[in-house]
Amino acid sequence: MTGHIIEIERLTKRYRKATVLDDLSFTVQPGRVTGFLGPNGAGKSTTMKILLDLAAADEGSATIGGRRYRDLPDPAATVGVVIEANAFHPGRSGRNHLLVVADTAGIGRPRVDEMIDAVGLTVAADRHVGGYSLGMRQRLGLAAALLGDPPVLILDEPANGLDPQGVRTLRDLLRARAASGGTVLVSSHLLAEVEHLADDIVIIADGRLVASGPLTELQQSTSLVRTPTPADLRRVLVTAGADIDAPDGQPDALIVRGLRIDEVGEIAFAAGVAIHELSTHANSLEDLFLQATITTASPGAAPSATLRAPREVQPT
Amino acid sequence: MNDTAIAPARTRPDPTEAVWFRLLRAELRKLTSTKMPWVFFAVLVVIAAINAIAVVFGTDMDGSKAFVSTADDQQSLMAFAANSLMGATLFGAMAVAREYGYGTVVPTFLASPRRHRAVLAQFSAIAVVGSILGCIGGALTMIAVALALPTTDYGFLVPAGVVGRLLLASLYCGAAGAVLGAGIGSIVRNTGGAVAGAVFVLIVAPPLIVQLASGTGAWMPSTLANVLSGVMFDVSTPAAVAGLAVWAVVPAAIGLLAVQRRDVM
Repeated sequence: MTGHIIEIERLTKRYRKATVLDDLSFTVQPGRVTGFLGPNGAGKSTTMKILLDLAAADEGSATIGGRRYRDLPDPAATVGVVIEANAFHPGRSGRNHLLVVADTAGIGRPRVDEMIDAVGLTVAADRHVGGYSLGMRQRLGLAAALLGDPPVLILDEPANGLDPQGVRTLRDLLRARAASGGTVLVSSHLLAEVEHLADDIVIIADGRLVASGPLTELQQSTSLVRTPTPADLRRVLVTAGADIDAPDGQPDALIVRGLRIDEVGEIAFAAGVAIHELSTHANSLEDLFLQATITTASPGAAPSATLRAPREVQPT
Repeated sequence: MNDTAIAPARTRPDPTEAVWFRLLRAELRKLTSTKMPWVFFAVLVVIAAINAIAVVFGTDMDGSKAFVSTADDQQSLMAFAANSLMGATLFGAMAVAREYGYGTVVPTFLASPRRHRAVLAQFSAIAVVGSILGCIGGALTMIAVALALPTTDYGFLVPAGVVGRLLLASLYCGAAGAVLGAGIGSIVRNTGGAVAGAVFVLIVAPPLIVQLASGTGAWMPSTLANVLSGVMFDVSTPAAVAGLAVWAVVPAAIGLLAVQRRDVM
């Protein structure tokens, strides 16, 4: 399986006076699972819709393998999409929904039956979708996305409503797809799940990129430093552009963001400040997400230093 | 989901099959895999039954059955094209508006991001089903009248050629109405609004247009349908065919342009 790079470049989208996406740029690499995060209304779904040519951008471009979605020679066999959990006719059976999608893409009936079995809807396949639970609808959506065995998957909240076994299977599936060279972009509010799943993270807020990069790197982009003179160290680090927090109950400790750990050491050394401990401070994805989005959610506030200069996602 | 990894596709799209035919097949499956056509079929059965009841129990002012006494009278009674036009317009409007309402148009546009192909396939499929419903409606009406006539003193007097004309008129009006409705549905994209739009175009607007522009009455949809059925003679049959085509194509073309320009969701 050969995935395709997804490139979002300077994307801007306005609905009347509201700017939903504001000069958004990032890339998603093949062979990686990329988590696409942001608060409600951040612009994740709009980005996906523009990428899939379901909505038009006011400025910028979104391409898959260097082509706009509409220019892909066989879109259904190139990109699998779960974008709307309830995009089903309630009076149509699950099997007929898949047959419609298969007809549209020129895929035969045997593959439909295969996918129904694969997502565990064999018993319910001939029931009306209106009687399905959210989890069953998600399975049906996933089956539709995988019908053409596409090398690129774009999934909006695919784990919503899935039972733990379903979540686990979804995770294994997406990891396997990426491992075989596919490109996987997943938006989700389930941060713990994304933390288990994603190699790379893209976080947006208010339509702007606030962080992107390999998850492990982002999580370790914060340093913990202990010093007998925290006020002196805080002063020189802030001057160097760092964001500083003081952990509760630890007067000798500072949490430093926006500088690499070696930079923190060199600045302290140059300032003649003694250091008793200097280590990376691993953030959970939830910490990372909240730091990024709460900071930028405040009107006029700048993103934290660590997250201010987002980097492109690069394969490791 | 099964624990086993989901296997790659064993079947690939047939590259020789034209995309448009794939889309048409998918659209036909969409229309035939819900109850909506059956609901419309049930309405046609009810209309036919009403015609039969009218023949069995109805009388003229003088208590006679003069309204079925001649071939022309019976032809007028069985002229279903105007009903076909109205019913198919509602069918087309609802079918398309529900596609947008339920979001089921999204997988179609994902498979065919150049939307004009998908929309043309959708309109074509709706025209096919609309014409079939129209033809069935015409046939059921004729069968109902034919079955009811033995309760009167009159036999079935309509010649075979006229029967064929009535069926063709119902078929054509079904197709034209379905495309007209589909156009309205793709412009409005809301089921209630699309139905209201269809009622406005076929029932409310024509008398207003005739009042504003005298001499246009012959070109209103129901008149054109009755011309095709051979029960009115305001314009020639080819002119009626062309006139109804214009009524259908104009909203469909506007709808097609709107779908291409608008965001889907």
